[in-house]
Amino acid sequence: MIYDQPKFLPGGDRYMLVEFGNEMNLELNFMGQSLAQAVADNDVKGVIETAPCFASTLIHYEPEDISFKDLQSEMASLIGTLGPSEDIELDSRLFYFPTVYCDPWTKEAVDDYRAKIAEKEPDPEFVARLNGLSDVDQFVRVHSGTEYWVASLGFWPGLPFMMALDPRCMLTAPKYNPPRTWTPQGTVGMGGASTCIYPVATPGGYQMFGRTPVPIWDTQKRFPQFENSICLFQPGDRVKFVPCELDVYELVEAQVADGSYQYNVVEYQKFSVRNYKAWVESLDTSARF
Amino acid sequence: MIEVIKEGLETSVQDWPGRLGYWNQGFPPSGPMDSWSFRLANVLVGNDPGAAGLECQYIGPTLKFQRAGMIAVTGADMQAKLDGEAIQMWQSVAVAAGQTLEMSFAKTGARAYIAVAGGIATEPWLGSRSTFHKAGVGGMEGHAIKPGQLVPVSVGEGVAGRKVRDDARPEFPSDKQWSIEVVRGPNDDWIDDAGHERFLGSDWKLSSKSDRTGFRLDGPDWSFAEKATDKAPEHGSEPSNIIDQGYPCGAINLAGQTPIILVNDGPSMGGFINPYTVPRSAFWKLGQSKPGEIYRFKAVSVEEAQALAHDLREICSEQSIST
Repeated sequence: MIYDQPKFLPGGDRYMLVEFGNEMNLELNFMGQSLAQAVADNDVKGVIETAPCFASTLIHYEPEDISFKDLQSEMASLIGTLGPSEDIELDSRLFYFPTVYCDPWTKEAVDDYRAKIAEKEPDPEFVARLNGLSDVDQFVRVHSGTEYWVASLGFWPGLPFMMALDPRCMLTAPKYNPPRTWTPQGTVGMGGASTCIYPVATPGGYQMFGRTPVPIWDTQKRFPQFENSICLFQPGDRVKFVPCELDVYELVEAQVADGSYQYNVVEYQKFSVRNYKAWVESLDTSARF
Repeated sequence: MIEVIKEGLETSVQDWPGRLGYWNQGFPPSGPMDSWSFRLANVLVGNDPGAAGLECQYIGPTLKFQRAGMIAVTGADMQAKLDGEAIQMWQSVAVAAGQTLEMSFAKTGARAYIAVAGGIATEPWLGSRSTFHKAGVGGMEGHAIKPGQLVPVSVGEGVAGRKVRDDARPEFPSDKQWSIEVVRGPNDDWIDDAGHERFLGSDWKLSSKSDRTGFRLDGPDWSFAEKATDKAPEHGSEPSNIIDQGYPCGAINLAGQTPIILVNDGPSMGGFINPYTVPRSAFWKLGQSKPGEIYRFKAVSVEEAQALAHDLREICSEQSIST
């Protein structure tokens, strides 16, 4: 649900988590992003930085400059000024990512975890079964059958938190317990209803089942997409995973290595919340691909 | 320039408060884990409290100074010697060109800090000189210092013999038991009463699987409120799973049953609950504890935690210096 009144939750002496609801949908993500934008536009005294995510915005503040109580009133009044998300229309890039599903690298990492940390069902089979899909092939069809919305960046530099835009492709999964100590670079994984790409080898908690050779983070700025930021994505981008075989993976990997890779991205589209909602309304959401 | 002869276990360039403003892209602040000792080292040599210096973990480095200057060593006692002669910690010390500072293992505490008058002058990256090891950015080529490297230093003038008053230094417990302040929230209502009592009433052992991204704790199991089990599926089905959210630096992040304190190089977001948060005034205790040592957590209010941060800021200033 979307709460009638947002919750203002303390995080130690210098953070406030503004929580707008407890589910995942585009509207909540826009509330989180819009509050962060409003804080930046209004240059709120004492706020150091913000971190919006699916259904909340974390505020980092300096209590020497503003008290928790005053910050709460400031946030409440800014939230009151946010317009309806229905009217939002924004430029939205669409990235195509060649992706090997059920690849040998994530399988190796899963096997390593099962051997050393905890026994578990292999991730693709596990997610397929939990979501009532007939087999891993159907899982791949469903997971790759939608565009993903980049709701925010976080966890690790450049890592996109994404949600499936097509409700017929919405999947859910628990996160690892305990988390992994390593995940291969470029791993595609999911936890809760969120899908991500791991920019580099890091610890992790999402179920993992695919890998892409295309970098989403580049401190060397070798490709033009990184001209303004070393992170590829920004909130409001969309991603489509294109299932491919190992030979395509290796081809792209070689192109990335020699600098000849061309990012497959389209930049002419606008995303209209109104049109999107109307389309979702028209769907039979009980169907799966 | 300072020439690195021996690197120590993990000696890195850090500044304070570090790389702020990029949490929404996933960049952590980095910076010194014990900013109390770090800031006072800078104050001793006449620097701004946040100027870049060196953080030494468990075993300190051996460094040769190519020109004369002023240094101060604070934090963990790593038995610092200048050309073989023991030097006083918590005090500004003049070094002559060609002298060698040699440090060893930490006898007390875990992290020592070396400040140099003028401050370390590596190239800032996203507004900070702090090293973020895991991503290979900031500091000296993105990583801990290595033998043969020359660490650049700005010109600065310090005065020798300035001391930090005894009562302005952090005190490390001799019994390896740490009392660490925590503030409830942001996700405290996911834990039931018994779970809160167990958290605050138990010993938590710092695991060896800890680093500058997170401090893992071993202790009893957690129990959860109904909210943690009766929830929308997009949270994930485990009780500790929540729709991905921003994490406070210092959050006690409950991943399954394993609490991980997210520290200076930690993740900015994720899908586990944070029932408690360690306020910044207690970070020095995390920075000075070693794996195997015991934490007991003490609940304080937001306002109390803010007052502690204020007090610490006052301590980390000229008022703590005697000459």
